[in-house]
Amino acid sequence: MISINKKYQLVTVLLASFIIMIMPVNCLYSQTQNNDTNIIKSVSIVESIDNQSDESLINNGSVDTTQENPWLWEVNYFGKSFYLVNALMVVIVASIAIMFVLLALILLNRSRLERESKLRQFLLEKYQSLILDYLFVGSGIEGFYKIASNSFRRQVLIDTIIDISINLKGESGYKLQQLYIDLQLDKDSLAKAKSKKWHVKVKGFKELAFMNLKEGNDEILSALQSKNDILRMEAQIALVRLSEENPFEWLYFQTHPFSLWEQITLHSMLIQHEIKVPLFSQWLDSPNYTVVMFALRMIREYNQTDNEDAIFEVLHHEREEVRQLAVEVCGDLELASSLKILKSRYKYEIYPIKIEIIRSMAKVPRESMLGFLKLVLDKEDDVQLQIESTKAIENLGDAGIRELNKLMDSEYKNYQIIIRHVLDKRIV
Amino acid sequence: MEFILGQFIFIFTIVLLLSYLMLGTYSAISLNKYFKKNSFVNYNQLVLSPLSPNVTIIAPAYNEGKTIVDNVRTLLSLYYNQFEVIIVNDGSTDDSLQKVIEAYSLVRVNYFFDYQMPCERIRAVYRSENPSYSRLTVIDKVNGGKSDSLNAGINVSRSNLIVTIDTDSIIENESLLRLVKPFLEEKEKKVIGTGGVIRIVNSCEVVRGHIKKVNLPKAFLPRLQVLEYTRAFLLGRMAWSQLDGLMLISGAMGMFDKETVIKAGGYSTKTVGEDMELVLRMRRYMNENKQKYEVTYIPDPLCWTEAPSDVKTLARQRSRWTRGLIQSLYTHRKMFLNPRYKVLGMMSFPYWLFFEWLAPLLALAGFIYTGYLIYNNMMNWPFYLLLFAFVYSVALMLSTWSILYEEITFHKYRHKRDVVKLFLTAMIEPFFYPFHTYFALKGNIDVIFNKKGWGKQQRKGFGQKTKKK
Repeated sequence: MISINKKYQLVTVLLASFIIMIMPVNCLYSQTQNNDTNIIKSVSIVESIDNQSDESLINNGSVDTTQENPWLWEVNYFGKSFYLVNALMVVIVASIAIMFVLLALILLNRSRLERESKLRQFLLEKYQSLILDYLFVGSGIEGFYKIASNSFRRQVLIDTIIDISINLKGESGYKLQQLYIDLQLDKDSLAKAKSKKWHVKVKGFKELAFMNLKEGNDEILSALQSKNDILRMEAQIALVRLSEENPFEWLYFQTHPFSLWEQITLHSMLIQHEIKVPLFSQWLDSPNYTVVMFALRMIREYNQTDNEDAIFEVLHHEREEVRQLAVEVCGDLELASSLKILKSRYKYEIYPIKIEIIRSMAKVPRESMLGFLKLVLDKEDDVQLQIESTKAIENLGDAGIRELNKLMDSEYKNYQIIIRHVLDKRIV
Repeated sequence: MEFILGQFIFIFTIVLLLSYLMLGTYSAISLNKYFKKNSFVNYNQLVLSPLSPNVTIIAPAYNEGKTIVDNVRTLLSLYYNQFEVIIVNDGSTDDSLQKVIEAYSLVRVNYFFDYQMPCERIRAVYRSENPSYSRLTVIDKVNGGKSDSLNAGINVSRSNLIVTIDTDSIIENESLLRLVKPFLEEKEKKVIGTGGVIRIVNSCEVVRGHIKKVNLPKAFLPRLQVLEYTRAFLLGRMAWSQLDGLMLISGAMGMFDKETVIKAGGYSTKTVGEDMELVLRMRRYMNENKQKYEVTYIPDPLCWTEAPSDVKTLARQRSRWTRGLIQSLYTHRKMFLNPRYKVLGMMSFPYWLFFEWLAPLLALAGFIYTGYLIYNNMMNWPFYLLLFAFVYSVALMLSTWSILYEEITFHKYRHKRDVVKLFLTAMIEPFFYPFHTYFALKGNIDVIFNKKGWGKQQRKGFGQKTKKK
């Protein structure tokens, strides 16, 4: 992406150069007009043609060519046309020139991409074999120096080492880290982490985190409260990888919203790198509701049911989306003790949470809820609520099925279509 | 009068070209931002994550017998974890339904509908007995048009996010991953819709519903449309998204927040431009309810569609687009120059009104005016040629600009000769403009005479047409 950025810069520079280039041409054009030597005459001359007699113009010694000049007729048509014609011609020349510059850029870009792709392929194969020799045959690092001679080649080497390190653990992983340091690639990564450009910084953070190098921790810490979402997220991820004591401590100070994308990224990293998982209930009372949601999701993923009361507290959270997730988590974790609270909250909740409550009751089937579920099926007009409550009744087992069979014959309300829908196992 | 008309057309052209330049610049900013931001993204984590949201793909099908089995297979093999596919057979008169039933071992189920969105009667719902196709649901309903089918699909969908597609399109494998990301990044503003780039499949090598090799269309008309699509998607929509004025997510593929779609009233069955109309209505709903929202756009190719390869079909398609545009603009005329709708009302709406709807009509006036001047021997030929050179050079520059964007974003056409071919097409394209004017005029006439429906669609089927022998 740096190459794309460079391309934009190049286009900007070329466009600016072109504008600077055509400015003198334009000025020259005006000067020649003032000297009455150009066939395209100024408005003043045109007006003078209108106002003066032919004789006086002949005396000025400038008209013979202009009177027959087709441009002048057109100039009259548009009034201020000297500027117009001038501007149009400048735009035409500029457009054609820009077009050629863009075409050249396209073709140059193509050649560069092809060249780079071939070189990358060559380097990848070379580096892979060198790294494998280093790790398993015990070869030295001299071979690397010969081909890692410029920044592009060093970057390919960094990428290759990182790719290989993903699948290596233990002694080999440590050796690879040592190779990274011996080749002074850590300095490249650190320089990136200190860059003023955020996207370069992010690359540096990623490389340092992958290679488990702590030299850039100060930079990473300072990026934790950055306004740039991506930089902040990458700093969080890097810190979780690099901190040994409390990798999630920053969650206490997280003031910015913590998007689902960031949560997914962090969770994927927890799984991928087998990082020690903390007790997430400690963040259930965070003032940042997105942190609470992340904690709830992690509690569900890691089945952390040791602090049920803290989860139940969240059922009363001021934000609807948090309450909804808390209800969902109660169901997914099959917290039977939540059923009573869920039942009592039902009538106060908004529609999506009502649906979620009934779904949770289906996940934690208890016969004690049968009466309530029948009431929902009976009293609620909403189809979705009726379907969900029927599903919950069916999940109660024999007692539920018996109840549904009774309802099928009910004359009070036609439940048949809903019950058939629920009992059809081909409908998920 | 002649003077005023001449000046008006001239100023209009200048403003139009300036707005293109502005959009091109904004697009460059937006593209730069997007590619920097997404260069670190690992989309694969979404496939594995249990936190990824469920998505429902809704594909209406009408007489798609030639391609439907392959296209359903492509949909079922999309790279995403939690999704369902709903095919809505909109009362096809061919063997579409039978083919799908046989190919995917479908059986009728006892489905109970919640008609949240009004739609024509649903005759039956089919599900597969084969667990490999457990993601698939097929709805058979009475014919009601594309919008009606999409509404029926919404009624059956079980996810909060819906993806609406054209069944005859070929979907990129990773398109769901890319479309869902803006929804996951949502913070203060609710993301209500995301669109992306639609590309042209003509002359590409397609095997069993997947693109095997990308080729530039051999025929002139589809190649012309490649250029148009690149300009529209990369120069236009990318910029409007950056400006928060995006009015259109292509009907070929877009992802929407189901709750907002339902609250806004779903797809309108009264227009043939249901894609634009829905976005306008959703945005209007959010604005009027003072909710913070955004409609995002990603410059990634999402799906491939067959472009008309003969003038007759192209005329029908463009005429339909014009009708859809007029209907959408008329329905939401309240937004025109209304500061309440911010960029949408003050910039996007006037842009679409003047430069997308009225520009061809004004071009027609220009042609008539030119004819009048020539007939009366009043034509100022030197200035006419100068103006022509001006419009032509700027148009060519803009097309080259879009080819550059194509080059640095997708780089799909691998041969150098493809760039040359595209450039040559760009050189010829302005001479095709009178045809576009005619198509647009036809669309306007159709609106006046209240023509309805999509017109006959001719599909050749990707496999037969494009597979290399």
